[in-house]
Amino acid sequence: MSRDYGTYPVWLRCWHWGNALLFVAQLVTGLSLHYATPGGPHAGFRAAMLVHNTAGILLTAFYGWFLFGNVRYGNGRFYLLAPGDLTRGLLLQARYYLFGIFRGDPHPFPHNAERKFNPMQKMSYLVVMGLLFPPLIVSGWALFFPARLPASVFGIPGVAICALAHTYLGFCLSLFMLTHMYLATTGDTVGELFRVMLVGASHSHEATQATPPTAEVRPTS
Amino acid sequence: MGCHKPRDTIIDPDRYARSVHASLDCNTCHADGFATFPHQAKRADAPECMTCHAGVDTPPYDFVHIQQGVQASIHAQMAGGEFACTNCHSPHYFVPATRMSDTPSAVRIANEPCLHCHAEGDASGGAGQPSVAKLATQHQWLPHWQLHLLNAPCIACHTTGDQRADAANPKLEAQRTLHVVLPKEQALRDCVGCHSKNSVLVSKLYAYLSLKEQTERGWLNAVLFNNAYLVGATRNRWLDWATVALTAATVGGVAIHAAGRWLGARLRRKS
Repeated sequence: MSRDYGTYPVWLRCWHWGNALLFVAQLVTGLSLHYATPGGPHAGFRAAMLVHNTAGILLTAFYGWFLFGNVRYGNGRFYLLAPGDLTRGLLLQARYYLFGIFRGDPHPFPHNAERKFNPMQKMSYLVVMGLLFPPLIVSGWALFFPARLPASVFGIPGVAICALAHTYLGFCLSLFMLTHMYLATTGDTVGELFRVMLVGASHSHEATQATPPTAEVRPTS
Repeated sequence: MGCHKPRDTIIDPDRYARSVHASLDCNTCHADGFATFPHQAKRADAPECMTCHAGVDTPPYDFVHIQQGVQASIHAQMAGGEFACTNCHSPHYFVPATRMSDTPSAVRIANEPCLHCHAEGDASGGAGQPSVAKLATQHQWLPHWQLHLLNAPCIACHTTGDQRADAANPKLEAQRTLHVVLPKEQALRDCVGCHSKNSVLVSKLYAYLSLKEQTERGWLNAVLFNNAYLVGATRNRWLDWATVALTAATVGGVAIHAAGRWLGARLRRKS
């Protein structure tokens, strides 16, 4: 049995894959700029810089698209933390990833039309898109205007502060992408969640699992 | 200096006092023709630099190599014997890199003689700032070209990077190559020359400054960090290693987890 989740509309899937492609471009070009080595292709550094700058501008637009889409189409509600998500919810999800997943236990928070993310997903997406991505974008734009940055902030050049923040925020987000890609294989099958994000439909957990998981998060008092 | 100081017509006594020749009396060089006023001596009567410096072959300077470099430069090739050390290095104001405490002043002092001729008549810089607008056409291919011209020494790109393979002392050989000013067509246009771990900035103008600071707190090319941030050159080896270690730990963790899932699924199928 297959059905449309309804929680992966076309705009979201296009945003996701576009964002992913642009981020990979940023990662590759960012690494090639940071570890630039004499003897490489003559135009390599300039090409990497042009691609990095262009993809950075597009990523900013994509971030705006993400914010707009979440507000306009209601996708933002899936990110809202429920009472207990950060306590018992995280504990259950961590216990699943550390033990249950090896035993074939059911997902503690199976996704459906009303609950798209487990508590760990919600928290990590909020941190990534709410806390890490904005300063990455701001520091990147600041580096477009190096002459306007302060010459010294507590003895460190303003350009250096922005560049270091940009580099290591990008690194943190790259690690997120790595784990995100791996955890995307933890659906009912290795490819299920990738297929959902590509075509927007999948077999539901409820239809394929003998015992429907029913873990619910209760507010802790 | 008592006569010249009131109007500062010729020599700025404060700058002279900070120069490498500050300990010399004026008549060390201007020995003859100054007994009467108006002076009988002319500028051309001043001794050649090599009168004192010839044969001085003790580190940190090797004027024999330096002279070889100047003779191989485009300046000497175009001007012949007319081109003298003092065309670039003012005997009254010259401060060697070894005495510079910060890179911005090192860059400003190093570029001053270049701009004196190549940006002649350019007053775009304003108070205390070098004027570089006249050089826009040739340098606009650089991203943020004004920043490049204001913060990088001209000789970083406009001198040869080729060192003689048989050079006994690479540091002294660098003094020669620093003086081989190239024709503009041969100037360095490879960004990675500066924007890399082995940045030419560190092996050229900042050679002496960088010796003091290049390993400071793990920063590669630390001397650059004191001045600005250069993508590719400003790196910290500890941070770089930390990113490699964290990436390896993440990949390793993912691999172990995936192997555990595969093994668990296999065991469940068997049972």
